[in-house]
Parts: sequence; C-alpha cells; structure tokens
Amino acid sequence: MNEGNMAQYSSQTDDELLFRLRNGDEQAFVALYRRRQGAIYRFAMHMSGSPSVAEDITQEVFLALLREECGYDRERGTLSGYLFGIARKLVLRNLERGRSDVPLETDTDEMGPRELAIIDDPLAGLTRHEAIESLRRAVHALPRRYREVVILCDLEELDYAEAAVALGCPIGTVRSRMHRARALLLEKLNQDRKPRLAVDAWKPMRYAI
Amino acid sequence: MNCQEFWNTLPRQGREITGEQARHAAECASCAAQWEPHRSLAAGLQSLGEEWRRCEAPARVEAGLSAAFRAHGRVQGRRSAVHSWWTPVLAWASAAAAMIAMAAFLVRGYQPGAPKPQNVAVPHHTAQAGAEIAALQAADYDADDASSILGEGFVRLPNAPRIEPDEQVNLVRAEVPGSDIIAMGLAVSEDRASEPVLADFAFGSDGMPRAVRLVTAGGTF
Repeated sequence: MNEGNMAQYSSQTDDELLFRLRNGDEQAFVALYRRRQGAIYRFAMHMSGSPSVAEDITQEVFLALLREECGYDRERGTLSGYLFGIARKLVLRNLERGRSDVPLETDTDEMGPRELAIIDDPLAGLTRHEAIESLRRAVHALPRRYREVVILCDLEELDYAEAAVALGCPIGTVRSRMHRARALLLEKLNQDRKPRLAVDAWKPMRYAI
Repeated sequence: MNCQEFWNTLPRQGREITGEQARHAAECASCAAQWEPHRSLAAGLQSLGEEWRRCEAPARVEAGLSAAFRAHGRVQGRRSAVHSWWTPVLAWASAAAAMIAMAAFLVRGYQPGAPKPQNVAVPHHTAQAGAEIAALQAADYDADDASSILGEGFVRLPNAPRIEPDEQVNLVRAEVPGSDIIAMGLAVSEDRASEPVLADFAFGSDGMPRAVRLVTAGGTF
C-alpha cells in the first residue's frame, strides 16, 4: 500500500474500513489490520506468554473477521472490543489446552477484596528500567482475570465499556476487577521490593538426635 | 468530598485525579498517603504500556492474511450468491434451470413418439448421443477453459457460452441420473447409467448451466 492510500484509509473509522473490506477492498483490510494488530498481538502474547501463540491468535482473529463468522454488531460495542473478545476466547482455549508458558490462576484469585492499605511507594528508588521490569513481572504474576483487565485498560488504554465487551462482563465487574488488580499489583511490588521472611509459613521441624 | 467518595471515584490508572479529589487529598493526610502508591503505580504502568507498544506481530502475519483475503475474495466472488439472503431462491431457480436444460437435451437427443427422419442416424442410447454431441462441438469446445476458471474437473457443457474469468458463477451440487450426465458428453459407464450421480453445476450470470463436474474420485464414474 502506498503512502497516499495509507493516508486516505487512516482517516477512516474502523467501521468504514470493515464495510470496505467486506466489499472486497484489500487495502481497507490491510489498513484495519495495521491499526489493530499490535494491540491484539500484545494482548495475546502477555496473556499466553508465548510469541508463537500470540502470532497464531492474531492471525486467527483477523481470519475470523474475514470470514464474518462471529457476527460483529456495532450496536453492541466497538470493533476493537470485538477483536479483543475474539482474541481472549482464543487465548482461553489455548490456556485450557495447557500450552501456556505463564502460571495463571492462583489461590489469591478467590480471595475476597482487601483494603488498599499499602502505603509504601512500591517503585521508589528503582531506575526506570528496573521499575518497568518489576511491573512486568508483577502483571504477569496476576491471576488471569485481573491480568486481562490490567492489560486491556491500563496498558492498551481501552475504556471500561470496551473492556466489558471484550471480557463479556458488565462494566461494574471490570471496575471492581481493576480495583482488586491494583491492590494485588501494589502488594506484589511491595513484597518484591522488601523481601521479608515469611514467618507465618515456618513450621516446627523435628530433628532426630 | 469525604474519604469514601474519594475512593469511590478513584480515577483509572494513568489518569490524574480531579480538582475536587486533589483538594481532598491535600486536606486528608491518610487518603493522600494511600493515594501516593497508586499514583506511582499509574506512572509505572503508563511507562510499561509505552514499552509494550513497540511490540507488534511479525510481518509474515500480514503477508499471510493478505493472501487469505485474496483467496477469500475469489471464493466469495464465485459463491457470493450462495451465501446471500436469496440463497434459497437461487438454489431453487438453479435447480429448475438445470432440470429444464437437461430435459431439453433429452428431448432433442431422444424422442420416442416422434417420427424419425430416414436420412438421419438416430443414436440408440444416450451415451452415443452424448459422444456425438461432444464430437460435433469439438471444433469450438475447449474442455480446459472451465477447469482453469472454476477448478479441476469442470467441463463446459455443449452449446454453453464460454465462462469469462471475471464472471460471477454460482455452484450448485445436485444428484442427477447417470444417463443425463452421459447426454452431456461426460464419461459414465453405460451399465451405471441408471444410477444417480452427484455433480457440481456451474451457472453463469445469466442463470444458465455452463459447466459440470462429477463429484467422484478422479472425476469419473
């Protein structure tokens, strides 16, 4: 696609591009792909932990759009949210097959809401690189349901309504998961910064003398 | 704004707190202290998001999808009518047209009640009739043109106009008597002429059958 055409297509909305591509306009398809592929790929990669899985999922998402098999309805949300929704389903299917490289659900996933009582700045004293790396690890360690809202809302900057479409849940659920995800992130970052002895986990041992 | 309202209206990560929230934070040391790590976390997540945005799918994904788009377009061009809302109408119309066309072939080739001209050799069975028709059409009959446009195995029907490369073609699969297939000049063994044969018919933009393909291994029966 040349620059002139790219500029022409870049000014069009997702829905306009979708209309064009469904009428056989390949350049519209390429423009829509280039606009949305990065976010879909990153979401898939950080949910699955595998670049090759993310590549497959990105391809499948846009093939599904091509085949019109999932029935996008713009009355129900944006195309972006719809694409993330397909990607999420594919990620979950992949995770169910046990091909994920990232440890997912943990016991903390089922714990009730906690007060946001952590008052230390978890990133204080770290260089930018260290802070980003620390955050990346903390995000990856989140249980899946919290990790996906952080990736969608914080890192890909979807609004709550779009995230709700992608996750197939009410906006209130997105909001509450975000609240909980922030608490878990702060807790995790704080633990990493100030490693403590887990005294509670110690158990008395019997030695044979 | 009280403390409860402050936390109920907690802004999204990466967003600054509003003026009213800022005023509350300035007045309430406890909320300000609790808000500080959130502010720091927001800034960190924003940086992480910026780092992540450099990451994109490999170029080969776009290349593969573009190829898939083109292939999809070709298939859709051939079969768009089949996938549209008027599919049932087209299917029935196509079936009717196919039956009429076949009936016309049979009536022309074999008329039991009609008086036979003495100077014309009438074929004794439809296989011979089909072969003769095919032979008569051989001068302008290009068996490969249908295959090259529609796919492997398609043979243009005798007297049918040539299928243009950009013509919209509708495919209809139907089960027809083997004898009808013989009448069209395709190879079907005579002892199986009475059995039904599954075949793909290609209808042109004028709604008339243009080519046929046997749905059997090797394209023969």
